[in-house]
Amino acid sequence: MTNTEIRPVGPEPARTRRSRRNRGTGRTRKASESTAATTIRTRGTRLLAVLFLAPTVVGIVVFTVVPIVGSVVLSFFQWDVIDDPRWTGAANYREILTDSTVLVSFRNTLVFMVLAVALQLLIALVLAIAVNGRMPKWLRSVFRSAFFFPLVLSAASISVVMKYLFNQDFGPVNWLLGTVGIPSVPWLTSENGAMAAVVLAYVWQQFGFSFLLFVGGLNNIPQEVHEAASLDGASGVRKHLAITLPLLSPTLLVASVVGIINALQVFEQPYVLTAGGPGDSTRTVVMVIYETAFEQLRFGEASAVGVLLFALIMAVTALQFRLSRRYVHYQ
Amino acid sequence: MTDSLLSRRALLRYGAYGASAAALAGVAAGWDRLTAADIPGRDDGSLVIATLGSAFNPEAQRALRDGFREVHPDIRIRINPVQAYDWSDFFSKILTQIAAGTAPDLVYVATEGVQLFAQRLGVPLDRWAKRDAAELRTYFADVHPSLVESMMYEGSLYQLPVEFNAADMYLNSRVLERAGADLPDDDWTHDDFTTLLRAMKRSNGDGFTPYFWTNRLWGGVVPWLFANGTNLLTESKAPGGDWLWNSFYPEAQRRGRGGGYRWTTPLADSDRVAEVYDYLASLVQEDLCTRPEGGDGRNLVGVFSTGRVGATPAGGFWAGGLHEAGMKPADYDVRYFPRWRTRRHQFGAAGYAMLRTSKLRDEAWEFIKYTARKDVMTQLFAANQTTPARRSMVDEARYRETGPAHWQVFYDTLDKIPTTGPIPAPPQVNEVEQLLIKHTGTALASPGAVRPALRRLQGDLEKAMEREV
Repeated sequence: MTNTEIRPVGPEPARTRRSRRNRGTGRTRKASESTAATTIRTRGTRLLAVLFLAPTVVGIVVFTVVPIVGSVVLSFFQWDVIDDPRWTGAANYREILTDSTVLVSFRNTLVFMVLAVALQLLIALVLAIAVNGRMPKWLRSVFRSAFFFPLVLSAASISVVMKYLFNQDFGPVNWLLGTVGIPSVPWLTSENGAMAAVVLAYVWQQFGFSFLLFVGGLNNIPQEVHEAASLDGASGVRKHLAITLPLLSPTLLVASVVGIINALQVFEQPYVLTAGGPGDSTRTVVMVIYETAFEQLRFGEASAVGVLLFALIMAVTALQFRLSRRYVHYQ
Repeated sequence: MTDSLLSRRALLRYGAYGASAAALAGVAAGWDRLTAADIPGRDDGSLVIATLGSAFNPEAQRALRDGFREVHPDIRIRINPVQAYDWSDFFSKILTQIAAGTAPDLVYVATEGVQLFAQRLGVPLDRWAKRDAAELRTYFADVHPSLVESMMYEGSLYQLPVEFNAADMYLNSRVLERAGADLPDDDWTHDDFTTLLRAMKRSNGDGFTPYFWTNRLWGGVVPWLFANGTNLLTESKAPGGDWLWNSFYPEAQRRGRGGGYRWTTPLADSDRVAEVYDYLASLVQEDLCTRPEGGDGRNLVGVFSTGRVGATPAGGFWAGGLHEAGMKPADYDVRYFPRWRTRRHQFGAAGYAMLRTSKLRDEAWEFIKYTARKDVMTQLFAANQTTPARRSMVDEARYRETGPAHWQVFYDTLDKIPTTGPIPAPPQVNEVEQLLIKHTGTALASPGAVRPALRRLQGDLEKAMEREV
């Protein structure tokens, strides 16, 4: 093999294409003129790119960056909506870092995140593999729609229904368990039961998103790799462990990053289902932010909790990307 | 530098881009579009009244608006029904409107928010009440002084109560029949109550809950605290208020009245409070009642009307709900809350509060007066979704269709039990309620948890009450 036969994978660099085209047309411009034309074209492309991106960037700045900066600033003030904000320095941070409710809410949120994301990814992956198997096209469409459907519903309304389903005395869940001899479970009235109910309600609604990502990822895995493994005598499980999972790792990374960010901001399910109880057992960080701000009118402290949550999400996401270098395989 | 190499074609193209962008911007700027100023009533000098969306149905809202316009054609009004899950949620939304600079002139406020609004946002109605004393005399003569006192703060009147609900006890007749029990006496005790619950449980089988209660400030633990002669916070009366009592109430009714309630030092770790929690814990343990987080008022009408619940605390507001659920007056009845050391009941009332931000105060007062009129209240509360604050409206005609047989209990809870008082609702009420709900859940979650949970409740309440609101 000679050097001329080696070609890079993927689209060719612009300059290469351009120079080849110039050769093909037989143009005889001077090198400096060619460079100038390239610069102008590049500038035009950039301008166009900037024009397309500008509305989104403006939106992000106005609706994301400014509120974040505003929250950081507000976290150093005492503000109750009615009177003017009063500078209190780091007092809000001192207050929340010694507040047992806030600390418990961070613990609960992390526990919830681990349980919910693990369960969500597992269910979504298993179902995606199952739906990707041999079945009629129409049935596949039915399953895909059914699994995605909960995601388009409002979390609050789902939680209201779930509250009825999980009711210890009148709920259908306990009734069903009772028909097979399982005694009534205190879903919403015991610490473990409440967390389990919140996780289940959340996962039921959210797994459709990961499911769709996995279906897309599975379709991108070349069939011939699986066929080659089959010829080598690999079993179904072995093929999934040795081929599907490694080749799906970029999708898994995306699903887990999005899943963790969403789970760390969980609010509706615990708020409606358990109101954070019993005691503080299902109180999450966003619930504390809401209660502190809108029910207790302590917007400065609420902002400080929000800043800590923001820092936690950034840290966890950065850690995921760091670890992904080791575990994620790109084709 | 490459600019000098810009070709004529490129120059023309960029010129065209610029002209197109300018044209688009011009079109966008001149486009006739909706803005906040287009919202009906916004900035047009209307009197804006925020009501709890679910408190009045749309027909009643219309009657309120159209009726007022007939009486005061010169005052433009806009009803702003704020949808909210409960009073706490409602206050949050009102405060958000205030923060956004779109504060209403009047807000419908329940006992839970009277002091919060009075202290931070409200305008005392004293001068108007004094000015229009002659006009108001028939109103006050028809409204129990306890309701009026609950709308006072530090000697001033902040609202005219138009509705209230005391925590009486509803009983399902079918369930009583199955249990072989009669309707309890007026003077029944909490021991009688326990005995009745046990009889209900025995005769109604699995999937049946004798006593259903919701973990909140109204109708939760507090009625039991009142019955046991205690409270969540020490209760006293503010001085003042004589201007009102002397003007509108006879000697017998104004005795012991003050300038509104004060709720200060927490009492959560006292023996009497613990006694109440121990009692409720024993009911939970015996499976005689819902657990704190299990009780959700949203499906309560359904489970009560289908005979899956035997008893629950509720006020006159429930008569309308049960009627809509298809229950006949004979299917249920109402009694006083069981007595313990006392017969004291809790109640919550509501009326319109005027906000300091209002520039239309005289007009706002006219609206307050209008809503307190008997003919207006009759239209507003036609569906029996609450107990009218006017005694004369709580009559046989009102309950002929919607029952219950002992409807007199609703107003008698005030008239015959003079100690009956409002929910403990200091300006820090939101945090107080949150803490109560949270620690009640912990206290009743497991055996032996009552005392430690109450100690934590006490500590948290002390912190909350020290906090400036």
